[in-house]
Amino acid sequence: MKGKCYIQGMAAITPQHTFEGDPMAQPMVVTHGNMLSCAEPDYRSFIAPNSLRRMTRVLKMGLTASLKCLQDSGIAVPGAIVTGTGKGSLQDTERFIKEIRDYQEKALNPTPFIQSTYNAVNGLIALQQKCTQYNNTFVHRGFSFEHALLDSMLLLHEGTADVLAGAFDEITTEHFFIKGRIGHWKKETISNDKLYDHPSPGTISGEGAVFFALTPVVTTQSYAQIGGLQMLYKPSPEKLNIALPKFLQQHGLQAADIDLVLTGENADTNHAHYYEILNGYPQLPFKHLSGDYETVGAFAMWLAAQILKHQQIPSQWFPMLQQQPAKLRNILIYNHFFGEQHTFMLLHAV
Amino acid sequence: MEELKQKLKVQIIEALNLQDTRPEDIDDNAALFGDGLGLDSIDSLELMVLLERQYQIKVEDPREGRKILQSVQSMAEFIQSKQPA
Repeated sequence: MKGKCYIQGMAAITPQHTFEGDPMAQPMVVTHGNMLSCAEPDYRSFIAPNSLRRMTRVLKMGLTASLKCLQDSGIAVPGAIVTGTGKGSLQDTERFIKEIRDYQEKALNPTPFIQSTYNAVNGLIALQQKCTQYNNTFVHRGFSFEHALLDSMLLLHEGTADVLAGAFDEITTEHFFIKGRIGHWKKETISNDKLYDHPSPGTISGEGAVFFALTPVVTTQSYAQIGGLQMLYKPSPEKLNIALPKFLQQHGLQAADIDLVLTGENADTNHAHYYEILNGYPQLPFKHLSGDYETVGAFAMWLAAQILKHQQIPSQWFPMLQQQPAKLRNILIYNHFFGEQHTFMLLHAV
Repeated sequence: MEELKQKLKVQIIEALNLQDTRPEDIDDNAALFGDGLGLDSIDSLELMVLLERQYQIKVEDPREGRKILQSVQSMAEFIQSKQPA
């Protein structure tokens, strides 16, 4: 990608207190149980009561995070709205399906159907901001956010002045149960702060809504530059081993230039071996803060951008951190979604 | 009729999740849409569903629906007209 891409504003609603105040000064939220839920803000400051009454949780989270992001960037009407979601509004989907069953496919309420569509959040943002520009939602499991980001970068490259890019996903009790049956979660109940003390099959679930205002021009307010992005679908360990140095090389870097790797390590022994490619790199895992879900890469990018902007790693969130790095210029994110969708993202300090 | 209107108000508040509205806040004859309760077109669809689920009345003609959903009074009168004597 030749064009440049800078994070001009951002906002995140996650299981940590990331939305208000100085997120880097917040203590770690510890949840006992394998399902992390977002620390939700008061939505009434962002959404009119008449609209709020109809929205389910992920819609409120997505819309609020996007509006806060736009506020943060100073952009009112973005040149494009591009998002990614793995599951869309699960609450609405579940409600709609249950009503199909309960009412024998008759007398169905339109609201959960309308809101269960993946692009409902984008529609709400566009309506609220009166934005009639390009509007797209990507739904590609563990590549959902990454495709939204790639599309955003291409739009900037083609001349769009600014793009609102984001991701949102929620977890419900029912979906947690379903995914548990296919082995996504740990059998033992743990606390998120003890995640890495429990290497076993499965991990902990999470959710979040994270938005970025992206521009091709750097300003004093910019958080970080997005330097590179690469997706690999079900790569062999050999292919991954070659892909990482090649990715760095394509961006004029080598292993020694990476000051920190944020890894998607999640104590899931079924897929932990992939992270061996990072041996020798200074690295920190982040999923004890967020849990795992399709678009968790957006949270990793938010975290990397915060670290680069503040030039400091929040040690209260990373008890495993031995020492602050001497410099923080380049952060690599390596994440995969249950061994299938693998992503490298590169962020630079500005 | 009074009992039916009270019941309808509770059902409308619940179905449309009108969080800060109490049944006594809704005037029998006040417009449900526009200046009155401020409902919108999606709410009108939800009210149709309410009639079907709670009273087994299906409104086939949208023009008829407009008249029926004018107020709590008009809804109650319609329901009563459809109930067996």
